[in-house]
Amino acid sequence: MGNIIDLFHVDFKLLLAQMVNFAIVFAVLYFVALKPLLAAMHERSEKIEKSLSDARRIENRLEEAENEYQAKVGEARREAMAIMEKSQAQAEEKRKEILARAKLEIGQAINEEKEKLRREKAKVLTELKKEAGSLVALSLEKILGGQKQPEFDRRIIDKMKK
Amino acid sequence: MPKTAVNAARHRQIIKAMDNNGRQDQNLNQTQAATDAHVSHEQTLFAEPLFQIGNFTATNSLVNSWLVLVVIVILSLWLRRRISLVPGQLQNGFETLVDGFLGIFDSVTGSRARSLKYFPLVFAFFIFILLSNWMGLLPGIGSIGQIVEHDGHALFVPYFRSGTADLNTTLALAIIGVVVSHIFGVAAIGAWKHLNKFINLEAIIEIPKKVRQDPAVLLVNPIKLFVGLVELIGEAAKLLSLSFRLFGNVFAGEILLASISAILAFGLPLPFMFLEVIVGLVQATIFSMLILAYLTINTSAEEH
Repeated sequence: MGNIIDLFHVDFKLLLAQMVNFAIVFAVLYFVALKPLLAAMHERSEKIEKSLSDARRIENRLEEAENEYQAKVGEARREAMAIMEKSQAQAEEKRKEILARAKLEIGQAINEEKEKLRREKAKVLTELKKEAGSLVALSLEKILGGQKQPEFDRRIIDKMKK
Repeated sequence: MPKTAVNAARHRQIIKAMDNNGRQDQNLNQTQAATDAHVSHEQTLFAEPLFQIGNFTATNSLVNSWLVLVVIVILSLWLRRRISLVPGQLQNGFETLVDGFLGIFDSVTGSRARSLKYFPLVFAFFIFILLSNWMGLLPGIGSIGQIVEHDGHALFVPYFRSGTADLNTTLALAIIGVVVSHIFGVAAIGAWKHLNKFINLEAIIEIPKKVRQDPAVLLVNPIKLFVGLVELIGEAAKLLSLSFRLFGNVFAGEILLASISAILAFGLPLPFMFLEVIVGLVQATIFSMLILAYLTINTSAEEH
């Protein structure tokens, strides 16, 4: 062992000096270069990871929103269809109701008009008969020479009336 | 004289020669004459001493390690200024490197959390060893130096030598790696459990408790104790294998390049330099991956 130490001139002071030298190398390399570099790399990878997870979360939320939107649109369509069907039914009912009412009103109007016409006709007929009786009486009076025969007139008018 | 004694003697010679450098200036003519006569360019197994700071002798490999430190400090500061959430080209390059390393680490540790925990230390080993290895290949490293004279012999002492071509550096790195792996082990599974991996006292303690139910513990538990002791020897072997593998490869590379350059300095060393670039990368990877494996093993609760 002593021979080896002599042969290679292993010296405790030199060993210590080299150890101190390496310790300084390690300290400088670690604190000045590696620590900040590893920290920057770690920070960047964390940011990338966070961005990726954010992107995944946003994607999920977008998918959820899309699903929700589709569900709401479907629901709205169903509701709209229901409303339309209801409206159609109501409209149909209303139409029928209006038609029925119109028919009724038209029927009433026709009846009223018929009644009115009937009454007008009766009135005209009455007046016409009355006029015709007067005309006949006047004609007979002319024919008979102006003699007044009220009993005869009355019988003639009555016959005319009948 | 045995070779180790020769090396030690030469080391002492160099230090003495460096101490006498001032006086050499006064005797410049004499030194120059010796230099002109013969300059020894011998590759030594040890790092040559360059200067003294009090009692401490700084070697050319230590100077190179300081240079690596300076380069790492500059690179770190440069990177620090450019770090942002939106990365530029430089940051992108580093992040790709870090991601690549973490991917490889995951296959060893089995989890990203553990990989991130060990990454700074293992990466520091990697980058320090890589730069040390590669800086040894730069022009001027090992070839620019000074000539010192002692006893009429002129010795060439390079100012720089690859940090990892010195056993002091590789051993220091191995000691840090292995000790830190044990510290992590104690922190992860507890001191008692960690201790029992090497000195299996638990196996001995449980013999009286279990011997009536299972007499086989009389045979099995001493074996467990022995296996623990083998593991302890293995820890020492880790230090030696880590340090000598790295030192051997880098030093052998330097010898190879010096030998090839001695044959023909122009062009011929290029493929070998390229080979050494790859060897430097591979050795840095092996060292750091082994440290990662030790960290992973020591922080696992299973017995090995």
